[in-house]
Amino acid sequence: MELRYYIIRRLLILIPTLFGLILLTFILLRAIPTSDLIASFVSQKANATQRAVEKQQAIAYLGLNQPLPVQFLYYLNDIIHGNLGVMYTGFYTGPVIGGISKFLPYTLELTIATVILSILIAIPLGTYIGARPNSPSDAVGRIFSLGIYAMPVFWLALLAQMVFGKNIGILGSYGLPISGEGYPSTTKVPWIVNNVSEPTHMLLVDALLHGNLTIAYSAFIHLILPVAVLTLSILAGLLRFIRAGMVDTANQEFVKTARAKGVPEKLVLKRHVRKNALLPSVTVIGLLMAGLLGGVVVIEDVFDLRGMGRLTLATITGLNIQFYGVAGTVLFFGIILMITNLIVDVVYAFLDPRIRY
Amino acid sequence: MIAQEEGIKETQKTNPYVVVKNLVTQFFTSKGIVKALDKVSFEIYPGEIYGLVGESGCGKSVTSTSIMDLIPDPPGRIMGGEIYIDSFNILSDLRSLARIKIRSETDVKIKRSKRANKRHNEILSQIRGNKISMIFQEPFLALNPTMRIGDQIMESILLHNILSISEGIIKRNNINSSDLDKFMKNLNSETDPLRRKKVINNFVSEFGIPEFEESLNSLIENSTDDSYVKTEIINMIQDNKRDIDMKLITEISQYYSLKQQLFQLTLDEIQAERTGETAIRNQKHAQIKSMRSYINNKFFSLRIKLRFAEKHYMSPFRKEARRRAIELLSLVNIAGPEVVVDSYPHELSGGMQQRAMIAMALASNPKMLIADEPTTALDVTTQAQILEIIKDLNELIGMAVLFITHDLAVIAEMCDRVGVMYAGNLVEETSTTEIFNDPKHPYTVGLMNSVPRADKKREKEIRLETIPGTVPNLISPPSGCRFHPRCKFAMDICSLKKPKLVEISPQHKVACFLYSDESEVD
Repeated sequence: MELRYYIIRRLLILIPTLFGLILLTFILLRAIPTSDLIASFVSQKANATQRAVEKQQAIAYLGLNQPLPVQFLYYLNDIIHGNLGVMYTGFYTGPVIGGISKFLPYTLELTIATVILSILIAIPLGTYIGARPNSPSDAVGRIFSLGIYAMPVFWLALLAQMVFGKNIGILGSYGLPISGEGYPSTTKVPWIVNNVSEPTHMLLVDALLHGNLTIAYSAFIHLILPVAVLTLSILAGLLRFIRAGMVDTANQEFVKTARAKGVPEKLVLKRHVRKNALLPSVTVIGLLMAGLLGGVVVIEDVFDLRGMGRLTLATITGLNIQFYGVAGTVLFFGIILMITNLIVDVVYAFLDPRIRY
Repeated sequence: MIAQEEGIKETQKTNPYVVVKNLVTQFFTSKGIVKALDKVSFEIYPGEIYGLVGESGCGKSVTSTSIMDLIPDPPGRIMGGEIYIDSFNILSDLRSLARIKIRSETDVKIKRSKRANKRHNEILSQIRGNKISMIFQEPFLALNPTMRIGDQIMESILLHNILSISEGIIKRNNINSSDLDKFMKNLNSETDPLRRKKVINNFVSEFGIPEFEESLNSLIENSTDDSYVKTEIINMIQDNKRDIDMKLITEISQYYSLKQQLFQLTLDEIQAERTGETAIRNQKHAQIKSMRSYINNKFFSLRIKLRFAEKHYMSPFRKEARRRAIELLSLVNIAGPEVVVDSYPHELSGGMQQRAMIAMALASNPKMLIADEPTTALDVTTQAQILEIIKDLNELIGMAVLFITHDLAVIAEMCDRVGVMYAGNLVEETSTTEIFNDPKHPYTVGLMNSVPRADKKREKEIRLETIPGTVPNLISPPSGCRFHPRCKFAMDICSLKKPKLVEISPQHKVACFLYSDESEVD
């Protein structure tokens, strides 16, 4: 029951955090010189006086003549009403909020699949090697994780493409698809509108919802390489943490107590060591999630996937910096991170009764 | 009264419960081999409190952990000796566990045998907590921080007591009039109200109906009509009939009794291996194999069920275990055991935690408790309470206690017999009164003189003595008697030969050349 109150308290803390995040993005936004933004409202063909008038109009329209706190209130008001501004890029043109709702689900699909997969692999593997410190299997595990840990994710992605990729890898044309090419989003089915599937915008889920197994299969094999690369990139760190936790916990006094009670060796590991060993790793998962969001931007670019990462890149790589696009995507990445940390904290509290204060 | 008690203890001394013979434990470190224990031998008899005393680093804790075979490996290992617990030598298969090549002090190769270790651990997990339990120095470290106190106690109960619990459940279900007749007859033969209560208590615990004890007491007090009482008992049980799948209970009880037999066979096999009777060993081995496959086949579905939904299928057992856990908690004087059973260790005070530890150690009525400095980390008032609980349990259940401490006052308070340890050797062993009135070994004398005594008249201006020097580094212990560099009475022979622990007067053993010329033969 304490856990419930803890969750409620944690949710309440979310409100000031969110406010702080919005304030931070606002300050970031205002720190960029506004001349670029104003210039986009001024027609280049007009003469000097006309340009000056248009400039003044733009300043008034954007509210830049108001004091900063008032500007912030306008910004807050817009965010509350779901208006994050408009962006114009080759990748996406339209309201920022619409772009995020279109491309975020795909990124979520990638990251959730990655997180689940890496946890599913890291916990048993980490428990296994952590229970046998200094054994050959431990040595292999450590070398593997250290090696992967040292590789940048984009390099790993390129390597994976060269080994397993279609047409360029050792598997030839039987390899896995390496880019959005051949991605079935262009297939003519009524539930795919403008390359984005309805209603969840996650192609795999939508295809399964509509019962179209061909598209689902295609969507699935397109996910394999990016998810595998992302998984590897966070698996390595996770594995090292779980192993260290296992070794550390196995030397604790209460493990000795458990053995003194006559608990069989297998159960000692399962019941007493593993749960306590996972506690620090849970926090690490939250931190890795932040790294993962960074990794997703790179991975989507390398694999030419249409997600939040690409949208974010598009806002800053075009001819003009898309102010509203930058602010909106940064805000959303921040919110995702906040939610992940909330989940991590709740899981931690669930596992460790000591911190449910 | 005291003489009477001693008389009882004297008769019990026929068969020691724990025998330690020539125990050698070493730690292999990068700096060299630490010879932590060097041929330690002693016995502990049922119902006595045996104290081990000495400075820090004398090997007291290593002795206790060795008895439980909980020496952390690596770096430590029991290198030789015999430890009999309830006349089974837990070190029977010591030779087969690992092959050790000692090239030099710092270069030791240990090759562990996985199979032998597995069997060894299986056997020991049946002995630890069941026949012998242990409580530790720091209760706040010794309890699992993420498990409820009740779960930790229940775990121990469920590991060793499944058979007795299932027996209770089955008996409760099959209770009939002849059982009741027997109970009434027993009850009527007693006139003393306390004894009558005892009979009722035995009856309810035998038939697994402890929740009716109070109502049964009042019922019997108020009614003299036997048949009425009988029908009332039947009604009580009928009214509270629990929805339990008896088939499952019988199956589980069969499963566990077969496992018990398997364990006994394994013990026999090891015994045969040790004595070298190959024929018997092979026969037992074949029996174990066939029995194991029989169990695996017969209880296949049960094992699957227990593997994946243990909580669900074991729920009647868990309920009973929980009740026992609450009972144990109240036995160690915890206030509000119903609340404590559901709390986490960090919510309790140090004294409560140590009591919970004791409750956990008592979970399956072990005949012996090892208390490894149980009060060192607690404040003085709590310390007294904990000591009292241990003393009470010793008297109440007749549980033997190996009490380890460096506090001589606690020894005087608690113990029947005392062993004094120095640098991995037992140097003196005698009764508590002897050790305080007539210590023999120079080390013991030094220990006695280093604490203020209220029972002895002191001459004026006498100062407390200290023993000069410190406990030697056990990587390269002094030759001969390990105490000779610090000894006032050191002779030439002391540095050459090691004195043997010999009985110089009845019940008084000393290892010192001042009293006997006998030395240990290497």
